[in-house]
Amino acid sequence: MDWLTKFPQIDPAVLLTVKRAIDGSLRGLTRSYGKAIENFFYPLQQVLIFFEKMISATPWPIVILVLAAVAWAAARSWKVVAGVVGTMVAIGLLGLWGDAMLTVSLVLTSTIFAILIGLPLGILMNRYQTAGRVMSTVLDVMQTMPPFVYLIPVVMLLGIGRVPGFIAVVIYALPPIIRLTDLGIRLVDKEVLEAADAYGCSRNQKLWKVQLPLAMPTIMAGINQTIMMALGMVVIASMIGVQGLGLNVLQAIANQYFTQGIFNGFAIVGIAIVFDRISQAYGRRLQKHRSVGHE
Amino acid sequence: MKKVLLSAAATALFGTGAYADCGDMSLAVFSWQSAEAMSNVDQFILNNGYGCNATIVAGDTVPTITAMIEKGQPDISSESTPSLLGDVYKSGAAEGRISQIGTAISDGQVSGWYIPQYVADAHPEIKTVEDAMAHPELFPAPEDPSKGGVLQGPEGWGDTVVTAQLYKALDGDSKGFELVPSGSGAALEGAITKAYEQKQGFIAAYWAPTSLLVKYPMLRLEGPHDDAEWARCTSVQDCPDPKVNYWKPAEMITLASADFAKSADPAVLEYFGKRSWTQAEVSQVMLWMTENQANGADAARWFVQNMPEVWTKWVPADVAEKVKAAAE
Repeated sequence: MDWLTKFPQIDPAVLLTVKRAIDGSLRGLTRSYGKAIENFFYPLQQVLIFFEKMISATPWPIVILVLAAVAWAAARSWKVVAGVVGTMVAIGLLGLWGDAMLTVSLVLTSTIFAILIGLPLGILMNRYQTAGRVMSTVLDVMQTMPPFVYLIPVVMLLGIGRVPGFIAVVIYALPPIIRLTDLGIRLVDKEVLEAADAYGCSRNQKLWKVQLPLAMPTIMAGINQTIMMALGMVVIASMIGVQGLGLNVLQAIANQYFTQGIFNGFAIVGIAIVFDRISQAYGRRLQKHRSVGHE
Repeated sequence: MKKVLLSAAATALFGTGAYADCGDMSLAVFSWQSAEAMSNVDQFILNNGYGCNATIVAGDTVPTITAMIEKGQPDISSESTPSLLGDVYKSGAAEGRISQIGTAISDGQVSGWYIPQYVADAHPEIKTVEDAMAHPELFPAPEDPSKGGVLQGPEGWGDTVVTAQLYKALDGDSKGFELVPSGSGAALEGAITKAYEQKQGFIAAYWAPTSLLVKYPMLRLEGPHDDAEWARCTSVQDCPDPKVNYWKPAEMITLASADFAKSADPAVLEYFGKRSWTQAEVSQVMLWMTENQANGADAARWFVQNMPEVWTKWVPADVAEKVKAAAE
């Protein structure tokens, strides 16, 4: 009856051979293609360093002014602008300005990349339903796979630092923008599409002039989620040497510096709220515009 | 505490043999391999030889030691390095909330800055940390090859603080170096593996005994050591004026919370008193673990089966019999 209580697993020796073979080939890959892979990612690394240097080197009043201007442009509300400026000043007063800028630059670059990759993928997912179902499974894997599982191979290939951290953040933050782009396009009223067909729109015209503009509020919600996910990954990314607020949190956890942890945690929350309010207010304004159009 | 009382009551009622009052205990295990091997061996021997119900609790060093001091749980840390724990341990030991009940590794543990053997062979003149700091071009930083890099260990480790202070004392910035935080032990090992496989140069804060050192031979750079300075500044994170001060071999001891040290079964305390590894023995177990991708539990079983000459010295003959029988 032994086979009933004990699952008939594959022979451990076979499993071990498989594990060793895969690990060995990864190591072989590092040895023979490491340089090439690194060169491939070199432009990305330079872009990341450029963004980081640009944001870190910008004098703080200008950063606050730019953020306030963006907040005003997006939300047209003095309350939002005041909230954004107040949060950034608080972060600066706590002595976390430099680290916060490193984090902001990582989140900003990975969000931009996620949008650049995610928007077209979302459109494709909507257009080709079968491929969409496959992609949906892939997105599930990306969202639930524990990051360290793929981080360590990435570190072995690329070393520690910005690029592997960036890859981890993008993998984690990409799914919402893809899913919500797809959803937004699907939610466009049938009647509107029929009208577009009646006017003789081509497929591309329909997409760019009808579906995407009407899906914009949902897509904005997706971008908002992407930013939140990217900020959530900041601490994990710091475990492979990405500098910024995440590293402080990690240090605080390991040393039981409770207050340092709270300060840095709230700084991350503060940045999240700033991004969230700006992107949501923008999404809402888009929606308002639409409802006006309907009246 | 309730659990302990319950199991004590149960053993009083049913009386299950010679070491029955051993009861529940928790063993702390840390994320590195030697701690995993040692804690699991302790668990195997205590559970099978002494009839204990030892469980293993995973955690990071400082949080775990803090929990032992503040909450009395976990009961045992099989392998700790007091000199790297700094104030947390010192104040806990001074208040009598945590104490040493045995030696973990008799020849201790040693941290340092390591450079790969192939670089050391090509440049035999590099022996000390100062020598290495004169050659930033040999140890390119991962993201900025124009500078030299010193890979730091996991955030929150004592070694990481020492590395930062040593770097500050050597004035690495002005010598064309930068300090590269790795964030976690896994990332540090990944970075070392990557650099080694591609035969690149690097300086990494690392420690022995570790299986990575067996797999990838590295040379430990040398440096001066001063105990007083170590306590004053080198191991203190916020100390503003560090001097060049290097690790000496640190003792590796077994720690117990005060409650446990008072109330534990004397036989168990005797076991921890006698149980002591050497670096070579631990390295052997770790090498086996790495080669077979085994976890701590597998390693404990393998160790009991294959290295009886080591552990049978730690336990009475009747216990040894039981442990041996359980490993079959």
